[in-house]
Amino acid sequence: MHLLALTDSAFPVGTFSFSNGLETAADTGLVHDAATLEAYAREIARQAAFTDGVAALQAMRSYRRDDFDGIVGADHQAILCKMNTEARQMTCRMGKKLAELYARIATDGTVARWLDEIAAERTPGTYPAAQGIVFAASGIEERELFCSHQYGAINTVLNAALRCVRVSHYDTQRIFFRLAAEIGPLYNEAATMEYDDMNAFVPQTDILASLHEKGSKRLFMN
Amino acid sequence: MSFSAAKEMAPYLAEPKAMPVGTPGKTGYLRLGFELDDRGRSIMRDLERRAPLIVQQELYFDEGMPEMPCVYILSSGGPNVDGDRYEQHFTVRRGAYAHLSTGAATKLAEMRYNYSGLRQRFELEEDAYLEFLPEPTIPCRHTRFIADTTIRIDPTATLFYAEIYMSGRKYFDRGERFAYDVLSVTARAERPDGQQLFREKFVVRPEIYAPTSLGAMNGYDVFANVIVLTPPDAAERIYARTEAFIDADRRLAAGITHLPNGCGLLYKVLGDETGPVKRLVRQFCSTVREEVKQRPLPEEFPWR
Repeated sequence: MHLLALTDSAFPVGTFSFSNGLETAADTGLVHDAATLEAYAREIARQAAFTDGVAALQAMRSYRRDDFDGIVGADHQAILCKMNTEARQMTCRMGKKLAELYARIATDGTVARWLDEIAAERTPGTYPAAQGIVFAASGIEERELFCSHQYGAINTVLNAALRCVRVSHYDTQRIFFRLAAEIGPLYNEAATMEYDDMNAFVPQTDILASLHEKGSKRLFMN
Repeated sequence: MSFSAAKEMAPYLAEPKAMPVGTPGKTGYLRLGFELDDRGRSIMRDLERRAPLIVQQELYFDEGMPEMPCVYILSSGGPNVDGDRYEQHFTVRRGAYAHLSTGAATKLAEMRYNYSGLRQRFELEEDAYLEFLPEPTIPCRHTRFIADTTIRIDPTATLFYAEIYMSGRKYFDRGERFAYDVLSVTARAERPDGQQLFREKFVVRPEIYAPTSLGAMNGYDVFANVIVLTPPDAAERIYARTEAFIDADRRLAAGITHLPNGCGLLYKVLGDETGPVKRLVRQFCSTVREEVKQRPLPEEFPWR
């Protein structure tokens, strides 16, 4: 139940206000149908797996070792590798929100201490670090954390697509099921990665993010 | 980080049959140090080199900034071949400035056993200014290349650091696009006190994940990645002057964003051919020079 609740897009951390760059991809015509949407979502999922996914797993492992410095380390690493202003704002807003919510519905010393560190601006408060801590505190395992993280990245794109791309619910669910089959191999790779291994190669998505950042049209915050 | 410890290079650790790793001529080394002399002129004070990397002396040929020492890095070995390890160390001391480039494109040869590695270190002291604007890098089929760049920069200094990567020898034979085995490129920066600023790594393994997909190269053949580390006021002016666009007719796209920790900007360009991408990168370099040194870059030489 905890896993489902924390993964649900209705869990109020604000995922609905982001599109992971899809808004601009649709606006420029790059994503215009189910096939292009699937290709776009696949790249977003892989990029997330090898950056935020690694940070989330490392934060969870640090929590389990009772290594608070390790959590702060994972949090900083997630920001160091985030090459886009709006994406950094998004991850910090959602990370802090997730920790604040959890502090209201459960009691956990690490979550409380992490929130203090965010307030003191000693740690950025990213979403993957928050996921690592909160999922560990809820007794959820690594594979489930990774799966939830991937669901979040893909779902953000597909939900936004229903509002700005000409696709149906059938299309988006079909894409979901196909991409779900690819999560296993991504986990196997991400689970062995250290911070130095975190990588992303999405220059076109980066350019789209820049267009959004500089543009005035916006339905979503990124 | 040890290159051979990088996971993406794990399949390529066999000893080359022709000449083993570490053989003289396969371990290029370059150490260049720039500083202000007694008269306040920026000069190249340190020059240490080992073949196949060659630097002769600084020249003052930049008509936009005649006091700027300009250095072209050459390689006597032709392309980077299997098992090559190069290392470059650039220091720009307090108040000094310089422009670095290469004499021609960096060609990465076909590799069968091992890989080619490039390690770079940039150190910029207070108010230092460095433009690093090399010619493009061209991988060919079965190239394995890893580059690791570390930057240590004072908050008052400016570094313009550009890299341009081709998809391959696109006009060779029937055309080679993303026929290489692996391209692994990392750049990281820190302050003199050790504060980490950012780390960007991209690993392209065309056989495993197609880089031609939407979101990655999506039909483009040339990718430029430009890092500008500069104080926030200059960064804001450069950001405001730089256009983000996708031009379907010219098959050219560019975007700019801020790097983490307020340390500067990241500019990316995608195109079909090197010419238009190089022109945009040079134009961007000119914007940076104008905002930091109040002088534009001169026109590029017609033969470049």
